[in-house]
Amino acid sequence: METASTCIMNGLVTSAMYILVSLGFALLLSIMGIFNFAHGAIYMVGGFVTYGFSVALGINPWASFVLSIIVMGLFGLFLEKFCFRPFMGNANSMMIMSIALIFILETGANIWLGGWTRALPSFIPGVLKAGFFSVTWERFLTLIIGAVLLVLMTLLINKTTIGQQMLAVAQDKTGAALQGININRTAAFATALACMMACVAGTLMAALLSLNPYMGDSILNKAIEVVILSGIGSIGGVFFGGLIIGFLNAVLPVFISSALSETIVLVIIMVILLIRPKGLFGYELF
Amino acid sequence: MLKNPFVTGRNKTVYIYVGLVIVLLLFPLVVSSTFYIHILILSFIYVIAAGSLRLISTSGQISMGHAGFMGIGAYVSIYLSKFLGVSPWISMAIAALITLIIALIVGIPFARLRGIYFTMITLFFGLGALSIEQLFSDYTGGYSGIAGIPALFSTDSKIPYYYFFLILVTVCLIIMFRLEHSRIGQTWKAVAQSYSVASSIGINELQQRVLVFAIGCAFAGLAGAGLAHYSLVLSQSNFNLLASMYLIVYVLVGGIASFAGPIIGTAILVMIPEMSRSLKDYVPLLFAAIMLIVLFTMPKGLAGLPAQVKGWFHRKNKGNTPKEVINNAS
Repeated sequence: METASTCIMNGLVTSAMYILVSLGFALLLSIMGIFNFAHGAIYMVGGFVTYGFSVALGINPWASFVLSIIVMGLFGLFLEKFCFRPFMGNANSMMIMSIALIFILETGANIWLGGWTRALPSFIPGVLKAGFFSVTWERFLTLIIGAVLLVLMTLLINKTTIGQQMLAVAQDKTGAALQGININRTAAFATALACMMACVAGTLMAALLSLNPYMGDSILNKAIEVVILSGIGSIGGVFFGGLIIGFLNAVLPVFISSALSETIVLVIIMVILLIRPKGLFGYELF
Repeated sequence: MLKNPFVTGRNKTVYIYVGLVIVLLLFPLVVSSTFYIHILILSFIYVIAAGSLRLISTSGQISMGHAGFMGIGAYVSIYLSKFLGVSPWISMAIAALITLIIALIVGIPFARLRGIYFTMITLFFGLGALSIEQLFSDYTGGYSGIAGIPALFSTDSKIPYYYFFLILVTVCLIIMFRLEHSRIGQTWKAVAQSYSVASSIGINELQQRVLVFAIGCAFAGLAGAGLAHYSLVLSQSNFNLLASMYLIVYVLVGGIASFAGPIIGTAILVMIPEMSRSLKDYVPLLFAAIMLIVLFTMPKGLAGLPAQVKGWFHRKNKGNTPKEVINNAS
C-alpha cells in the first residue's frame, strides 16, 4: 500500500510536470508549426531565472517566481518576434533556428553560470501526512500548482477569445486569417504562454530536484513523446498523453531497470503510432 | 532528357570533385601534422553519414534517428570483431548489411507514417536503440564507453586510415551520386514532390520510401562501424539525439538541395570545433553562430553561396534578364 500510494503520487507529480512542459510545446507546434527543440532549454532558463532572483538577489521566493514568469513571457515575445517570425512556414530553417537556440542557451548557462548542480530553496518545507499518503509539501504544492494551471489553461483555450483564436489558427491558418484573426499576435501570445509554462515547470522542478544547465535535454524527449503520442494539433489530447507517459515513467522504474523501462515506453509509443499514424487524438497538419 | 554531369562531363562540378580528391590524395605528403589528418578522417566518416541522410531526404523523408543507426552499425561491428574474433574488415561489411536488414524491417511499418510523424518515429527509434544498447552494456559499454576495439591497421600511424577512409568516402559518394541521378533517384524525387501523383503513375511509393531509407541507413551503419574501428574507444554519447541533430545540422547548413551540401557542411562544421579545441566550452556557441549566419544570409545553405555571389554580380553589371533569373534560381 505504501508503494502504491507513493507510485500514484509520483505518477501524478511527474505527469503534471510533463503536461505543463508539453502543453507549451504543443501550442508552438500546433499554432506556429515550429518544432521547438529549444523548449527544454527554455525550461532550464526559467529555473535559472527564478534561482537568480531568489538566491542571487535575495528576493522572496514567491515574488521571484512571479517575476521570473514575467521575464520568461517577455523572452517568449522576443523569441517570436526575432527568431521564429522571419522563418514562419519554413520547417528546415525553423529546425536550424531551434537547434542553434539550444546551443546558445545551454552553453551560455554553462559558461556564465557554471555547470555545477544547484538547488532552489524549497517553497514550503515539511511533510504532509494523511492516511496512507505521506508526501512532502513541496511535491503536493507542485501537484496543486500544476493542476490549477492546467485548469486555467483549459479555461483560457475554451472560454476566452484569444484561446479560441489560437485553436482556429492551429486548425487552419489561412481560414483564421480570413476571419480577421491577427495571426502574428496570436503566435506571439502563444509563444509567451509556452515560455511562461516552461518557466513554471522549470522552477517547480528545480525546487523539487535540482538545477543544472543540461536538465532540459531529458524533459525535451518527454515533451516530444507526449505531444506526438497525443497527436499534433490536439491541445486536449496532451492531458491524456501526459498522464500515460508520466505514469509509465514514474511507475515502471520502481520495478525494472531504468534502461528497460525507457525501452518499453518507447516501444509502446511506436506501436501506438503505427496503429494510429496521427497520434491518439491528432489530425494531419503538415 | 536527364542531365547527368557524371556521365557527360559537361558540367564543371565534376572537375571540382576530381580536383578535390587529388588535393586530398596529396595532402598527407605535404602536411605531416597528425592533427589535421585526424580532423580530415573524422570529416570523411561524418560525410558518409550526412550524405546518406541527404539521400533519404531526396524522397521527402527526414530521419532523426540517423545516429541511432550509426550506433547499430558500430556496436554490431564491435561485437563481431571484439567478442567473436571476426576480422574488422569483414565485420564492417557485415555491420552495414545488418543495419540494412534492420532498417528494412523497421522501415516497412514506419513507411505508414508521413511527414513529421515519420521524422518523430525515427527519433523514437534512435532513442530506443540507445536504451537497448544500454541494456546490453556488457557488450556496448553504455555511457562509460568501451575500449580495446580491434583496429583496422596494426600501425600507430594515421596515414593508412586516411587513405582507406578517403577511398571509402569517395566510393560511397559516387554510389550515392549515381543512385540519385539514376531512374530510381528520379522516382524518389517524384515521391518527395507528391506521393499521390507518384503512385498514380505507377510508382510503388511505399516500396521506394522503404528502399531509400534502408540504403541510407546502411551507409550510416558503415560510417558508425568505421568510426568505431578508427577511434577504438567509443561511448554511447556518439549516437544520442544530439548526434542525430548534429547530422541534420550538417546537411541543412551545407544545403539540403544540392549534392555538395552535406560535404561542405560537414567539412566546415566538423573542422571548426576540432580546430578550436582550446576553447572547448565555447565550441557550441561558435557552432550556433555559423548556423545563424547561414540561416539569415544564405537561404540555400553554404553550397548555394557561389550561385548567390554570382547573382549579385550579374544584377550589378547587366541587370536581370529573365533567362538569368531562371539560371540563378535553379
